Amino acid sequence: MTNNLHIVEDLQTAAHDTADRAHYVNQWVMHHVTDSGQWHTPLWSLHLPPWMSNNAIMLMVASVLLIVCFGAFYRYQQGKAPRGWTNALEALVLFVRNDISIAYLGEKDGRKMAPLFLTFFFFILTCNLMGLCPLFSTATGNINVTFGLASVTFFFMVFGAMYANGPVKFFKAFAPAGVPWPILIILMPIEMIGLVIKCVALTIRLFANMLAGHIVVFSLVGLLVTFGYWALPALGMALAINLLEVFIAFLQAYVFTVLSAMFIGEMYHPAH
Amino acid sequence: MNLSVLGAGLVVFGAAFGIGWIGSSAMKAMSRQPEAAPKIQTAMLIACALIEGVALFGAVICFLAN
Repeated sequence: MTNNLHIVEDLQTAAHDTADRAHYVNQWVMHHVTDSGQWHTPLWSLHLPPWMSNNAIMLMVASVLLIVCFGAFYRYQQGKAPRGWTNALEALVLFVRNDISIAYLGEKDGRKMAPLFLTFFFFILTCNLMGLCPLFSTATGNINVTFGLASVTFFFMVFGAMYANGPVKFFKAFAPAGVPWPILIILMPIEMIGLVIKCVALTIRLFANMLAGHIVVFSLVGLLVTFGYWALPALGMALAINLLEVFIAFLQAYVFTVLSAMFIGEMYHPAH
Repeated sequence: MNLSVLGAGLVVFGAAFGIGWIGSSAMKAMSRQPEAAPKIQTAMLIACALIEGVALFGAVICFLAN
């Protein structure tokens, strides 16, 4: 079979048993939310080489979309109020720079680090929203992608802070002044593990949010297959959840960026 | 019957309690000081995200156990 229609055909030949159909629907849902070596759309079906995967293509498409958005459609309008698409992008850019980057890292570091957080925000937002469009899949619903993003945060939390404050001050931040040494023995390892845990939490939060949202949408549509016309109201609910997902796409991009800024800011200015 | 389903339910219980508490506190704070509403909203969303992260840890473990 060249496309995922075989699941539909399996479904048609399956016994007229609700449990059997539910099993195939389950397979269909998992097939759609996990990464695979194929890219199926109603228009074409691609079998990708082994070094390539569906979500990797989505990452590339997201990058190209962003480059086109900011490179071709963005027009810098000197001296007058921006209009149209430029206005929409500029509002988001200013929001990320002022309310996330500068708010958590201070005026000087915030301006310097703004490109990182802008990249985080727009890249995650594009990946999330692409998952809601037909033809595309959610790259951020893959734990490898979100781990990659979180490891960038980790890199800046450790090496960026070392570069900004010097290695001595970086390690001193783990031992706050005025704490007796018996407590420090317990406190320091916890602080160091916390550094990793924060990034793992970032990974899991984005990944599980996107994955869980899509599973809910697919399961609601799958109810229609399992129970037939009795489950027609589920279609309305699937639509409602899909709209909720649009909100969640923005929220998770914001949350990832703001938490990254918070964690990095904590390491840059430990005296806080 | 897989017990991990029960675990997912328990996780939802805890997360709902936490997020509900944050929401109600934020409502109270905002009604007392409407001028501080944007700041409170930001702090609320961040706290919600932290709780959600823990809840999703549980959800992921349920997925893995299934």
